[in-house]
Amino acid sequence: MRLLIRRNAPALLLAPAFILLAAFFIVPVLRLVGLSFEGSSGAFEHYARIAERPVYLQVLQRTFLTSAATAILCAILGYPVAYRLATASARTRLILLALILIPFWTNLLVLCYGWLIVLNPQGALNTLLTSLGLASVPIPMSGNIVGVLVGMVQTMLPYMVLPVAANMARIDERVLQAARSLGAPPLQVFLRAYLPMTLPGVMAGALLVFIMSIGFFVIPAILGGTRDIFIAQLIEMNINRVMNWGFAASLSTIVLVATLVLYVIGVRWFRLGTVWGQS
Amino acid sequence: MTSGVDKKQGVSRRGFLMGAAGTGLAAGMGFPAIRPSRAAAGRVVYATWGGSWEVAIKKAWFEPFTKATGIEVVAVQDNTYGKFQSMVESGSTEWDVVETNPDFQFIGAERGLLEPLDFSIIDKSKIMPGDNFVTDYSVPQVLWSRLMAYNTKALNNKVPEDYKALFDLDGFPGKRAFYTNPNSGAFEAALLADGVPPDQLYPLDIDRALEKWSEIRDQISFYETNAQAQQYISDGQAALSVMPDGRALAAVKDGSPVAIQYNQSIMTWSSMVVPKGAKNRDNAMKFLAYVLSPEAQAAIANEYTYGPVVPDAFKLISPERANILSGGPQQQGKFIMANEKWWAENLEEASERLTEWRLM
Repeated sequence: MRLLIRRNAPALLLAPAFILLAAFFIVPVLRLVGLSFEGSSGAFEHYARIAERPVYLQVLQRTFLTSAATAILCAILGYPVAYRLATASARTRLILLALILIPFWTNLLVLCYGWLIVLNPQGALNTLLTSLGLASVPIPMSGNIVGVLVGMVQTMLPYMVLPVAANMARIDERVLQAARSLGAPPLQVFLRAYLPMTLPGVMAGALLVFIMSIGFFVIPAILGGTRDIFIAQLIEMNINRVMNWGFAASLSTIVLVATLVLYVIGVRWFRLGTVWGQS
Repeated sequence: MTSGVDKKQGVSRRGFLMGAAGTGLAAGMGFPAIRPSRAAAGRVVYATWGGSWEVAIKKAWFEPFTKATGIEVVAVQDNTYGKFQSMVESGSTEWDVVETNPDFQFIGAERGLLEPLDFSIIDKSKIMPGDNFVTDYSVPQVLWSRLMAYNTKALNNKVPEDYKALFDLDGFPGKRAFYTNPNSGAFEAALLADGVPPDQLYPLDIDRALEKWSEIRDQISFYETNAQAQQYISDGQAALSVMPDGRALAAVKDGSPVAIQYNQSIMTWSSMVVPKGAKNRDNAMKFLAYVLSPEAQAAIANEYTYGPVVPDAFKLISPERANILSGGPQQQGKFIMANEKWWAENLEEASERLTEWRLM
């Protein structure tokens, strides 16, 4: 008996986690996928509707493009911040971390309405610009894609900065010293030694930002314009207002599959696993 | 805000201790899970939209009802349709009375989610007459309207007389705020502005309404929540809006430069339903009967800016107050009743078309 337990110890230790995961994640996901094939007129009723009416693919496309733009902007803006964070003294790092984490912990709705106050035509930023003479008429920065990107980039930035900074902190300083001692100017050191070593972290951060952005609901709804509809808004509407759960499930399934495919691509071609410690 | 659920658990634990001590005082409060029969004697779980509205119904309805009957009313929030359906279908109905939009009285009944109401307890003869107002499964709660509100400063005190102003960008420049859900009065407004007579409004011609919207496409800002509509119209981000009267009145009360046009306001109501399998069904019926009394209807109208569904209640409301309420004298002969049955049947199609229009 004791031997049996010892031999199967890893499996037994994993069992509680697996049971929890199965009960609260795997089974519901399978049920969701199953629901998407339950239609009053055939199993593919919902998918046929998605294929027939271009609006759903348009919304999906818009969701994915906006999420990709968010990931790219986060990478560009987050990289220098991550560098500063990774190379700072312990004291400065604490302050920087607080500056990154306080907005991260702030309620999303509060952030959105805050941005609305800053960005709207009569808002703080436009008042500043027009009173300084930098703009003659208010620049529309909310109620359009600009507002959506500002809100999403700000919300997602910590998800970029933290993995990239972790990756940068692990870089062996001796490699850079070697590059310098071999006569490489700073730009060369950065482009040929530092950047390639930090790129997996950037890709991991970008993928994380991208995948999380796809599910956004509140930000495009509040800061966006007429065309800024995200797939999550259509899913919510089908669950809570129209009550067509099968259709909502089919939209969700498409997002799920697309996300999984992207994840697999990320792991295989961009060696994302290295960032979470895989060799 | 303390959630009703937390409170329920608190009471249960105390109820247990007191019961164990043999006082018996807690019997009425009981524990719902262990002794449903006891719980059934003394409570109604009411699912509400929450917020300031919840504060108002607690004062106007819950407290006097408990005083009169001894039945405790517990408020819980987050009364979404999705949650409603999953509760009833899984056979674990936690709610006894739910306030909903009137489309749900049809959708819910069709899906078998609703308990038929007991009209031997609930007196429906006092309710104002109208189609679909009362069904086998629902009673109206209060009246409210979707109407045109405008920022007087943005319009330089020019008064928009009717919905034509929404589509007249030269005469009334500025953004228009419409709701992201199509059943917001803005489809009706477009058709009325386009010359459709009020009595031929339904079935709504969705294509024609959206075509009319296209005339002002670049000037439409969509709002996702009514609070957002209030903000848009208060600070002049939108010059005109089709929005709920309660939010427009709140903006006026705030001192914002906002005014209301009552012409052709689209009147509607909120409904109350009982979920199938409700644990305190009988108490729910008593509660609904109470809410539809003229006294209770007047109490809420004095507490919140919604109109009574029982005309007798106006006898108990001051003329000044009556003048701002839906169904009040200022609206007589001006309002159009929304056809909520049509909306229940066409909401999905209309939503899809609106999304298509937005992406065009």
